[in-house]
Amino acid sequence: MNLSQQIVNGLVLGSGYACIALGWTILLGVARLVNFAHGQLYMLSAFVTWYAMTRAGAPYWAAIVIAIVVLSLLGALMQLAMTRLVIEQNLTSLMIVTLGLGYVIQGGGALIFGGNPQTLSSVLARTKVDAGALWFTWQDVLVLAMTFVLYAAVWLFVNRTRFGSVIRAVAEDPRLAQLFGINAKLVYLGVFVFECAAVALAAALVAPRAPILTSMGFNEVIMTFVVVVLGGIGSIGGALLAGLGLGMFIAFFGAFVAPAYTTAAAFGMLLLLLVVRPVGLATK
Amino acid sequence: MTDSLPHRPLSMLRAVVVAALIGVAFFLPQLFGGSSVAYSTLTTIALFAVMCYGVDVVLSYLGEVSLGHTVFWAIGGYVAALMSVHLGVNGWVTALATIGLSVAAATFLGLVTLRTREFVFSLVTYAAAVVTHEIAFNWDAVGGSDGTVGIPALKLPLGFFTYVGGTQEELWPIAFALLLLTLFFVARFRRSRLGTTALMVHMNPALATSLGVDQRRVRLAVFVISAPITALAGWLYAYQRAYVGPDMFEAYFLVMMLTAVVLVGRRILLGPLLGTAVLIIQQNLLSLGGDWNKVILGFVLAAVLIFWPAGLMGLVDHMRQRWLRKTRTNGRENKRSYMEEVQ
Repeated sequence: MNLSQQIVNGLVLGSGYACIALGWTILLGVARLVNFAHGQLYMLSAFVTWYAMTRAGAPYWAAIVIAIVVLSLLGALMQLAMTRLVIEQNLTSLMIVTLGLGYVIQGGGALIFGGNPQTLSSVLARTKVDAGALWFTWQDVLVLAMTFVLYAAVWLFVNRTRFGSVIRAVAEDPRLAQLFGINAKLVYLGVFVFECAAVALAAALVAPRAPILTSMGFNEVIMTFVVVVLGGIGSIGGALLAGLGLGMFIAFFGAFVAPAYTTAAAFGMLLLLLVVRPVGLATK
Repeated sequence: MTDSLPHRPLSMLRAVVVAALIGVAFFLPQLFGGSSVAYSTLTTIALFAVMCYGVDVVLSYLGEVSLGHTVFWAIGGYVAALMSVHLGVNGWVTALATIGLSVAAATFLGLVTLRTREFVFSLVTYAAAVVTHEIAFNWDAVGGSDGTVGIPALKLPLGFFTYVGGTQEELWPIAFALLLLTLFFVARFRRSRLGTTALMVHMNPALATSLGVDQRRVRLAVFVISAPITALAGWLYAYQRAYVGPDMFEAYFLVMMLTAVVLVGRRILLGPLLGTAVLIIQQNLLSLGGDWNKVILGFVLAAVLIFWPAGLMGLVDHMRQRWLRKTRTNGRENKRSYMEEVQ
């Protein structure tokens, strides 16, 4: 249990957290929307990928594409159902509605895919990188690389393109944005579809690490909430840093203190932070 | 809204009607045939309704979504289980300990979340539930992942004799009494200074501030008084099931609490009770299997807020107004045709 292995573990865990948190960060930070079905969408994406690979015989990359398409369609449906609440900015109702839809997805997932744990196996997840005593797989390298690429791309898109400023304008004041000829509903739809596509990609990349269960839902991605809040709600760079930092914390806490209480420790930290700094770390 | 919360003294007639309804409600299990299923279903409805009232107080009067009420629910269950199994104490002691511990937990959580709103509040309360779940799951002293089995029958010494709630039939009066107590408490809360101030903070924070209301104090107070309600439901649930384990933290209870509150409509005294009744009857008597029940419960929750944000009561109101408008226009048309005939 050497130090460098724990740093590698921290990077592996952290990039996974950051990767899963990306969709949420955008949804929350850019569009000021919440989605408590995030965990169940993650579960569904993992199972769609698994189904496409094992039952339809699709290669890994094609299964990822299928998952992204399926989840984008589902996201569009969800958003169309919630349009009125979104335009009204009724966050309380949106939280409850997405919680309910998540429960539907969980029940539906169990009906379609059964209650047994499955493994989403990718070739990369089974090939270990030969780096002396250090232990990690090519899948871990892929997740880390993809996370950095995705975060960079999203940051550029939001901050450096015209579309990015349109989205931010809608988030600031949907009615005012509409006065300027922006179709706010379409923008919200786009952001929500992106959230679902991002979670589909993240699930296809991260899920091969552990067995998948239709009941995993909320708790599987609970760390993303810590990432989003720690990173300063919606800050893209903040979320990436928070994800990696949290991964390090969990790796070291699990290795040297108590592996059974890592989630509790992460949330303990979050609670502490909220008392001291209710707006998160990244904001001034 | 305001006309549902006046300082109206209970008139004699109203008191008589309410007393009669309570009397009839108490004999509902016999009216439904007196079978064990009738008793257990109605006991469960009463119990779960009490659980939901805790969330109702926070959701309806503060407008916040607490995802941490499963913690209080579990506190009740675990206190009842551990104290009665290991210490052999009676129901009054475990109930008092439940109230004390849940108030302490809610005060802590309320202070931590004092400056958070909306989704951050929901997230932190949910985080609290996840942390408590993890501790309950891993800590063998409280039963660990196996939980605690063999909880003895609920004993409530009443001076000259001891009421024992061993069977569903014997637990029904206790669940019924707890429900009445809760309804009385929530009704009082709605008319109380705290209740009206909380609603003002929720509906018009600017007005509340201009009147010198300390919003944080109001929020904390409402959150704290909501906790023992849900906790006492968990307390009785432990005796009903004779088993307590980490499954008390399951999302099912959370979704159930929220659905029962929004189904009939927020800020309606009997709303959560009716909502719970509908949902439990579906799950116990018209069940389609666990996964389908999940789909139904989640769908009901989402659909109500999407299509009828004011709940079933809002729908009834809407229908009544449409009907009134229709009869009025019908009347006008009749009159017009009469006039035409006359001409």
